[in-house]
Amino acid sequence: MPLLDIKNLTVEIDTGSEFVKALDKVSLTVESGEIRALVGESGSGKSLIVSAIIGAVPDHWIITADRLTWKGHNLLAMSNEQRRIIMRREIAVVFQDPTSALDPSATLRAQLEESIPEEFLDKGMFWQRNKQRREIAIGLMHKVGIKNHEACMQRYPHEIATDIAQKFMIAMALVSEPELLIADDSTRSMESTTKNQILRLLSGLNETKKLSILFVSHDLLAISSMAHTMTVLYCGQTVESGKVQDLHNRPLHPYTKALLDSAPSFQINLPPKSHLVSLQGTIPTLKHLPIGCRLGPRCPNARKECVKVPEQRMVNQHSYSCHFPLHLPIDEQLEKNQ
Amino acid sequence: MNNLLLRYINLMVVTITILIIISFSLGYLFPGDTLTNISGIVPQSEEQRIALEAAFKLDRSIFVQFWYYLDNLVSGDWGVSFSSQVSLIDEISIAFPATLELITYALLISIFIGIPIGFIGGIWHHKPFDFGAVTFSVVSYSFPVFWLALIFITIFCLQLGYLPLSGRVNFLYDIPHNSGFILWDILVADSPNKKDAFADALRHLILPTASIALVTTAIFIRFTRRSIMDEMQKGYIDAAKSRGFTTKQIFFKHGLRNSLLPIIPLMALQISTLMTNAMVVETIFSWPGIGNWLIQAIYQRDYPAIRIGMLVVSIFVVTFTISIEFISRAFDPARDKFERGTV
Repeated sequence: MPLLDIKNLTVEIDTGSEFVKALDKVSLTVESGEIRALVGESGSGKSLIVSAIIGAVPDHWIITADRLTWKGHNLLAMSNEQRRIIMRREIAVVFQDPTSALDPSATLRAQLEESIPEEFLDKGMFWQRNKQRREIAIGLMHKVGIKNHEACMQRYPHEIATDIAQKFMIAMALVSEPELLIADDSTRSMESTTKNQILRLLSGLNETKKLSILFVSHDLLAISSMAHTMTVLYCGQTVESGKVQDLHNRPLHPYTKALLDSAPSFQINLPPKSHLVSLQGTIPTLKHLPIGCRLGPRCPNARKECVKVPEQRMVNQHSYSCHFPLHLPIDEQLEKNQ
Repeated sequence: MNNLLLRYINLMVVTITILIIISFSLGYLFPGDTLTNISGIVPQSEEQRIALEAAFKLDRSIFVQFWYYLDNLVSGDWGVSFSSQVSLIDEISIAFPATLELITYALLISIFIGIPIGFIGGIWHHKPFDFGAVTFSVVSYSFPVFWLALIFITIFCLQLGYLPLSGRVNFLYDIPHNSGFILWDILVADSPNKKDAFADALRHLILPTASIALVTTAIFIRFTRRSIMDEMQKGYIDAAKSRGFTTKQIFFKHGLRNSLLPIIPLMALQISTLMTNAMVVETIFSWPGIGNWLIQAIYQRDYPAIRIGMLVVSIFVVTFTISIEFISRAFDPARDKFERGTV
């Protein structure tokens, strides 16, 4: 049984005048012990998926899903208290913007120590608890690569640099020893040495502690180095999903191919000063979403069938949503569709 | 922190110096004889005039006069009232605490009623309680203070006769002047019917305090409600929820402190409104405070009294505002938010 199982999740958001399907039948699973990458452009709804999982979506937005389960328990049908207990110990989130996710009027130390679950404070009597809290906090800071913990602990969030805050957020997420870590673009503002350090830490935790990770990012290089499986998102629709290797070697969806082609790191014989391949146009805004397959207007293979939303199809653990996938010749497809 | 303290003290000293310069120049700017405006005494003969001019250093240069004025201010020799010939410092030390008492109670009432109502409204916003709170605050904010005071008098004093119309305490009770705060004075007074006097003073206090407090309460409700609504929508509240903290923990450990921070400087802003309203209300209720006293002084063209009264009131407002401003600055770590580099 997968740890986190999302099937056909639709989130309709309130734009003021109407409700718009910002997520349209998104499917995503995270197996126990795997690193799942969630890739997509800015505005493709990655963070909204994270919000829907943790329940931080405003009450009047409409969330529907065939399945949104955590270890087989339906998250949508749960009471707030049950959900809170799961969030307390089992799921941890690292938010995209670290400085706004920290309380501006409390020191980092107070915030980190607040996150330590009471169950961890087993040594000694209650007056030794504070000392133990402190030790756990310092240990965590070192673990995520903040060496100068003294200078950091007494600071307020606006006094520290973004990359330190970013690491600090990871420390806060790891403090409760969760089973699933949702990292929402958590290496965004780091330079590459720090980033590698964090990625190594996460991979290490994945291997030694069986920590599952939902790694939300658009850093394809980082994903290919650490993730096991990945899901590609375009404009609120799941495009393709499968093992990272399979997707790299043989993308089935035109969008995945375009995405990989746009990253120079994956082009083996890229001549210097050559143009990178990219799709025409930009990602549509929420007010002007195309009907059917949302890639339609930008897709090189689009036909009139594409005004219908494609079904999700599976080939060997590799699922895609396209009427005209790349591995089948288009003519044959057309005949089949007719 | 020391730097901050120094900066605020500097601000206070400069502001008060400017106020003293203005009050000093009022002696010259007011119509009439400068000597009379400054000393409060009308010279009856030429000899007395020369003697007074020498006493108040009016025959010397303006700088010597100002220095002498400062010296007198500090040593408590504030001159005499033009109309009553009583020393001004004595009159003010009776009148000012009465006003202070009024605005202290009004401020406390609006803090202890306004902030909790605002909080509940902010947490359960767009619920019946919130609509009630907003309606109450809009209505009470819209009342002009003088009109409200008159309506209170009409209803509670004249129609129903529940509460006394004017004054601080019934003349039957002889309360010696001690701190100037009537409730405190009654408590420390050595009088056989202390309890009755205290109850009577409280009954006298209700209407003036209520008429001032209502507007301030309305402002506190609206501001607190808005502040808590804004804070509870911020990212760190969502982040705290995602860490699985209880709602109580999130609210009391994070939401409450952050939404209180912008409310502390609001108190400083309210003090001048309270002072102005107190002056109006004192006149209506014949409360023997500084407002009433100043208006009497204006009627009688008592220039020395106007000059000193204005100085005392404005120094009080400035000191209070700057102190609160300092406290809020010292409490809020993110107030001086300039960009910093890495740690």
